[in-house]
Amino acid sequence: MSLKKFSELFGDLDSINSTNNKIAVLKNYFLSNDPIDNAWAIYLLTGKSNKRFISGRYLKNLFSQIYEYPQWLIDTCYLKVGDSAEVITLLLKNKTNSRKKKLSNISLNELLSEIIPALSKLNEEEKNLEIKNLWETLPEDNHLIFNKILTGTFRVGVSIGLITKSISKLINIDEEIISHRLMGDFKPSIDSYEFLINKNINLQELNSKPFPFLLANTIEDKIFENSINDFQFEWKYDGIRMQLIKRSGNVSLWTRGQELVNESFPELVEKMSHIKDDFVLDGELLVWNFKEQIAFDFSLLQKRINRKSPTRTIQIKYPIIFIAYDLLEINGRDIREIKLENRRIELEKYFSKWQIKTENNISDIFKICDLIFPKDWPDALTYKEKSRENNTEGLIIKKKTSIYSSGRKKGIWWKYKVDPMQLDAVLIYAKGGSGRRAGLYTDYSFALWKDKELIKFASAYSGLTNIEIKELDKWIRKNTIEKFGPVRSLKPEMVFEISFEKIQISNRHKSGIAVRFPRITKWRKDKKINDADTLENAYELMKKIS
Amino acid sequence: MRTKQEYLIRYKDGNLYCELADIWIDPSKPVKKALITHAHFDHFTFGCEEYISTKETAILLKERVGDNIKIKTFEYGEEFKINGITISFHPSGHILGSSQIRFIFAEEKWLISGDFKLQKDETCKQYEIVKTDYLISECTFGLPIFKWDESNKIANDISKWITNSPEKTSLLFCYSLGKAQRLLNEISQTNFKGNIYSHGSIHKMNNSYRELGIDIKDTIKIENKRKIDELKGSLILLPPSLSKGSYLKNFKNIQTAFASGWMSIRALRKRSGYDKGFAISDHADWDGILEVVKKSEAKNVFFHHGDREALSKYLVEKESINVLLFGK
Repeated sequence: MSLKKFSELFGDLDSINSTNNKIAVLKNYFLSNDPIDNAWAIYLLTGKSNKRFISGRYLKNLFSQIYEYPQWLIDTCYLKVGDSAEVITLLLKNKTNSRKKKLSNISLNELLSEIIPALSKLNEEEKNLEIKNLWETLPEDNHLIFNKILTGTFRVGVSIGLITKSISKLINIDEEIISHRLMGDFKPSIDSYEFLINKNINLQELNSKPFPFLLANTIEDKIFENSINDFQFEWKYDGIRMQLIKRSGNVSLWTRGQELVNESFPELVEKMSHIKDDFVLDGELLVWNFKEQIAFDFSLLQKRINRKSPTRTIQIKYPIIFIAYDLLEINGRDIREIKLENRRIELEKYFSKWQIKTENNISDIFKICDLIFPKDWPDALTYKEKSRENNTEGLIIKKKTSIYSSGRKKGIWWKYKVDPMQLDAVLIYAKGGSGRRAGLYTDYSFALWKDKELIKFASAYSGLTNIEIKELDKWIRKNTIEKFGPVRSLKPEMVFEISFEKIQISNRHKSGIAVRFPRITKWRKDKKINDADTLENAYELMKKIS
Repeated sequence: MRTKQEYLIRYKDGNLYCELADIWIDPSKPVKKALITHAHFDHFTFGCEEYISTKETAILLKERVGDNIKIKTFEYGEEFKINGITISFHPSGHILGSSQIRFIFAEEKWLISGDFKLQKDETCKQYEIVKTDYLISECTFGLPIFKWDESNKIANDISKWITNSPEKTSLLFCYSLGKAQRLLNEISQTNFKGNIYSHGSIHKMNNSYRELGIDIKDTIKIENKRKIDELKGSLILLPPSLSKGSYLKNFKNIQTAFASGWMSIRALRKRSGYDKGFAISDHADWDGILEVVKKSEAKNVFFHHGDREALSKYLVEKESINVLLFGK
């Protein structure tokens, strides 16, 4: 099957918004293509191959060299398009007259298993010649895919979940089973694909299936009318919500996004496999500060999530812990229908048993969540306000009588989040965005007053609606003081409310402070720049927190 | 070199102006005398004492804004004089009636390109190469990333887009004047044989085209209370102004697309909010602009409407053409 089919699939997935239609298109692709091309398609769409064979810069230089295009012109085009692979694709359209050669009809498999690997074995001169040759012999509608794969920037709005759903629909087998099969080292081979679409389910696959997660709702005022004793209080950790499953000796770690992540956390899988009982636990995975017994920032956890088979050094540098909230199944017995308070008793009972009876010490990687016991609602509020001190996001409040149903069921579990910190700041710089925000000014820097000077304190690019972005972009173009490359300094006139999660001293910034997760929460058109906050205000905020 | 004031045509208050003839080209504010290159609203303003255009442009304008304007018309190629300056209209290939305008004074030729394209379009006259000393050209798509596909390829893509979703009503947004008629002409030559509806504003222009002798496929005027089932699998042409807001609630199970040259860029396509984009334009692409610059044999070129910096620099560096900048 030709690469053209895959290009069409990419185009369709790129332009279809509805999930159902995306699934239909994928199903159709899988039905009408060879197993090996299907395997490669899945490999690419699930982002398993983001290897960069050459950089975007290299691609642009090469084009400039071959076709004698001035570099500055390509750079100007890039500002409009925001993606090197696409710029070159569009520019190549202008070069159709240089295509004297016969077009070649290659398959996705040939491209990925022969042509591109062969490229990396060539010296620079040969490689350049070969890329030129491919540009001139590949049909035009293959260029984008080719350039994107070369530069390791192939991405399309398809999640692993969507691929899972399509295959599940294709062969009529539960999504969890497909997830299990897609887990790990999916090789782009005929065997992998045939295994994926095998209609026979093996026992291990069945045993790995997680339960649907039960989620908490945002707190409602009416909860305060109830007695505090009706509820169980836990800290709301900022980690990865997970089900830890051990059945028939096999351990599986499932995220809430239906992803099996055993390979990212092998030390946890190993330790838990020593426990004698079978179980399903609902909990949170965190990078843990064992000295102070609190969670590290989510940013450290990110260093673990996307890394498969982490080295021992990484495991030591970013030590993880699984904190169990709930016990859902024990030795094959589904206990989701019994009350939370009783499940908690079971959880505590088994946890102490495991601590004593398991050969290897498990408490350096596994614990159950501590409960909090506020005496009344104002006391609960005090706990919530203290949650920043132990790096949690607030409280989770659960009805003691609740059974473990699924989804965001109303009236049983609530999250009581600590409010974000906020300052009103003045927009002083803007920078062009890339990707789908190309050609618009979408990266902003904000400043606070220090005496009569505005000092930059944070950069943010999220929080505005598309309409606001366009409006602000227009304003930015009209109110530029100076351009420095892609950055514009702006007339100080616009005030925005900036929210963030954390504020701390930093020597790296002129302002002397650094904030975490800054984001725009309101365009304060009602405020003049003199109403914006001062650095002094920021320091006070910091004092208040610590 | 002459100072700006000494050029026959220059920029004044953001508009092209010829002082010797005291005449403006597509002015954005009311003036005494205005030459109109074509009937799009961004090239026309109410309140001028006198308008001068081609016959087709005049008819289309009156259809759009009413008979209450005073327009003098000339045929393509017909020369007329104002204050000793010889002026004539020439086809620019943008839409029906669209024109380039040439000025000749003291053996010096000036050409204002108007909006133009070189691509095939059966609904209007093909762009005519006009030789000149000075060229004032638009450059809306003045970057080499813009390279238009043949319009019949786009039409086939549109046809496939509709027929691949027979359960849906396909809404194609496009400018009411020019683009809509060109699309109708192209789509009627594809495999799509379903019903085509058009919004009132487009329907009106279709009729005007027909009266001016252009063969445009008959479409059904879309009424707000059409039965949903009846619209399944059909194509509806709508002006872009209706893409946001409550108008779309009149339909069920829709897919939307926008026909515009900007849709060739993925980021713009995604940001546009339409499901799909078809890159078809009534403006020249990069190659088109370069071709016109070369074939016009102009020694001096001015650009407006677009990314003129890159295009100017390119022509100066690569083609050694003298590109001048307007002081606005």
